[in-house]
Amino acid sequence: MRMKRTLVAAAGMAATALVLAGCAGSPSDGGSASNGKTTLSISVWNYKQTPEFKALFDAFEKANPNITIQPVDILAANYEDKVTTMLAGGDTTDIITVKNLTDYAGYAQKKQFVNVEGLVKQLPADKIPALTSYAVDGAQYAVPYRQDFAMLFYNKTMFKNAGVAEPTNLTWDEFASDAQKLTSGSGSDKVYGAYIHTWNSLVQAYPAAQKSNAKWDTGDYGWMKDQYKLVLGMQKAGTIMDWGTASSQQTSYQTMFETGKAAMVPMGSWLIAPLLADKKAGTNDIDWGIAPVPQLKSGTKITSIGGPTGFGINKNSKHQDAAKKFLTFAAGEQGADAVASIGIVPAYHSDAITTKYFALDGMPQDDLSKKAFNPDVIKPDGPTGPNAAAIGNILNQEHQLIMTGSKSVDDGIAEMESRVKSEVLHQ
Amino acid sequence: MTTLTQRASVTRRPTSRSLRRRRILVGWSFILPNFLGFALFTLIPVIAAFVLAFMHWDAYNPPTWAGIDNFVRLVGDSNFHVAFTNTVLYALGHVPLTLALSLGLALLLNQKLKGIAFFRVAIFFPYITSLVAIAIVWNMLFDPINGPINQFLHMIGIANAPGWTASTGWALPAVIITSVWRDMGYYMVLFLAGLQAIPSEYYEAAEVDGAGRWQKFWNVTLPSLRPTTFLVLVLLSVSSFKVFDLIFVMTQGGPGRATLVLSQLIYQDGILNGQFGYSSAISLVLFLIVLVVTVFQFKIQQRRER
Repeated sequence: MRMKRTLVAAAGMAATALVLAGCAGSPSDGGSASNGKTTLSISVWNYKQTPEFKALFDAFEKANPNITIQPVDILAANYEDKVTTMLAGGDTTDIITVKNLTDYAGYAQKKQFVNVEGLVKQLPADKIPALTSYAVDGAQYAVPYRQDFAMLFYNKTMFKNAGVAEPTNLTWDEFASDAQKLTSGSGSDKVYGAYIHTWNSLVQAYPAAQKSNAKWDTGDYGWMKDQYKLVLGMQKAGTIMDWGTASSQQTSYQTMFETGKAAMVPMGSWLIAPLLADKKAGTNDIDWGIAPVPQLKSGTKITSIGGPTGFGINKNSKHQDAAKKFLTFAAGEQGADAVASIGIVPAYHSDAITTKYFALDGMPQDDLSKKAFNPDVIKPDGPTGPNAAAIGNILNQEHQLIMTGSKSVDDGIAEMESRVKSEVLHQ
Repeated sequence: MTTLTQRASVTRRPTSRSLRRRRILVGWSFILPNFLGFALFTLIPVIAAFVLAFMHWDAYNPPTWAGIDNFVRLVGDSNFHVAFTNTVLYALGHVPLTLALSLGLALLLNQKLKGIAFFRVAIFFPYITSLVAIAIVWNMLFDPINGPINQFLHMIGIANAPGWTASTGWALPAVIITSVWRDMGYYMVLFLAGLQAIPSEYYEAAEVDGAGRWQKFWNVTLPSLRPTTFLVLVLLSVSSFKVFDLIFVMTQGGPGRATLVLSQLIYQDGILNGQFGYSSAISLVLFLIVLVVTVFQFKIQQRRER
């Protein structure tokens, strides 16, 4: 009997030891292995469903046989939270993928990344317009490898059937009247002229980019007024899906476009890759094209909205030289070549890359689509800088109130102004 | 265990002190694995949060002392006011509704009928269903235009049906309805256990005295259920004030801030905006609210038992 009790106690101790060992477990930092090879770990999201990472890593490994890349896969929805926690815990993952400029502002403010200014100076800045997006007070903590921007996806068949001219160079007013002509049916057969997704950037960022006096971070948002009136008018006329419906049903913009439920969808260039993939898989047979996003005034330069995706080097990285090699590769022509081959819009621009991109299987070949691929200016699709997250949150909350009709446009904008001023700018 | 130790003491007669020490050690060894987990993942973080509430910290660079700055900011923060009000309103809706419905269901299902187990399982089922699935399905039901709920309301002649999760006024009620539906099965099981522990002699005695159904309910069932009711009330209140997951999946606190609750504000200011000191201060306030509510309930319970 006594023995049994001792056994139980021993088992308890063993379990405790296991728990402790688990916590203190030495990180397998996969450092320089004995065979002279370096292993670089890079944080990524949804590795299997985001083929650009594998394409980029494979190309890099091929060019640098002495470096192996170890992806650290994180669920896309939790990516920001998880990276914040990892960095706070002193994680040594070498390279952190920077999902958007809002996140970047946080990393830069906390100085969690290595300043790669020296590396940036050696890159061909004229071919990488997004490079400047990461400049903060004379420092640069990341480089872009991908630059998405908004374009107008349109269903060519629906335009032809409705007798509407191709959307070569629309203004927002023309966009609304085209949507009117393209809307038909009711109930479950309803076809919308356009689909504007629920994100606040899809209303707010266009005037922010296309009006000269619009600024995100001063607490004045009167410049959003006309765009809200336009979109609310379309909602009332039933030419776009009601915001409340789209939000509560968690409507997918891709499905709306692929099933022919909407003729025009202003959306980021990231939609191209899944459209091509679905065409290949036979689940999407619509005849589609891309056009420049509508502008406020006709005859102006094409100003689109968008943001870069990039890589930064963790300050705790033990392989900073190899990491810098990777950053140079990803931001340059070789990296661009790798991602463009799977339908991702690279940050590095050149005629060769554009040609390669349009050679992809299923890519529309008309001149309008090619024109849409090269907007004159790309501006941020939301606030940037240290207050980006806090301002973005307020603008999004008030956007929901305006779109659901809970507040008038004027009241909503007034609330944005007073909240940003008091909660963020502390005026 | 007692028989074992008794036998051991008979055969070996160790001194009572060493026996006691050994018992304590054995006791500790049993509790140690659990305590270590608790200390590591709950106790230490809680203490750390208390300290952090008086600091500025971005989760990366060393924290700096803030004194009561965070609490001063809290008093003037409109987000905190909104979240506090919403949390209280949620609790005021969720607690009584769940309590009443779960008790009603328990009474209804506390009968010896054929197939009663099926209904009990059916009511309990939402509680063990994935929360994300519940949120998505209810969001579809609540759809203001195509949702079955509003189509039914239109059918019975209500012209201005509520906008539910798409409107600021009805989003919170919609979330409360969903959470009541999800939770009532769990508390029904607690009430069922309580009901089955009531001796049938009480009811027989009441019947002999000529009590009707209502009188039996008021004078036998409810008083006998008091310990269960108290447990359910405390559990419900604590979970209502801490609500996060359902709201986060259903509305993300929207539209606007119509369903923003304290737990979500803590998440938003800490994880998203990187202000861990301020979010710890909000956590501390939430902790105090839950503490006060629970102590209040205990006091009332004690007074009643006297």
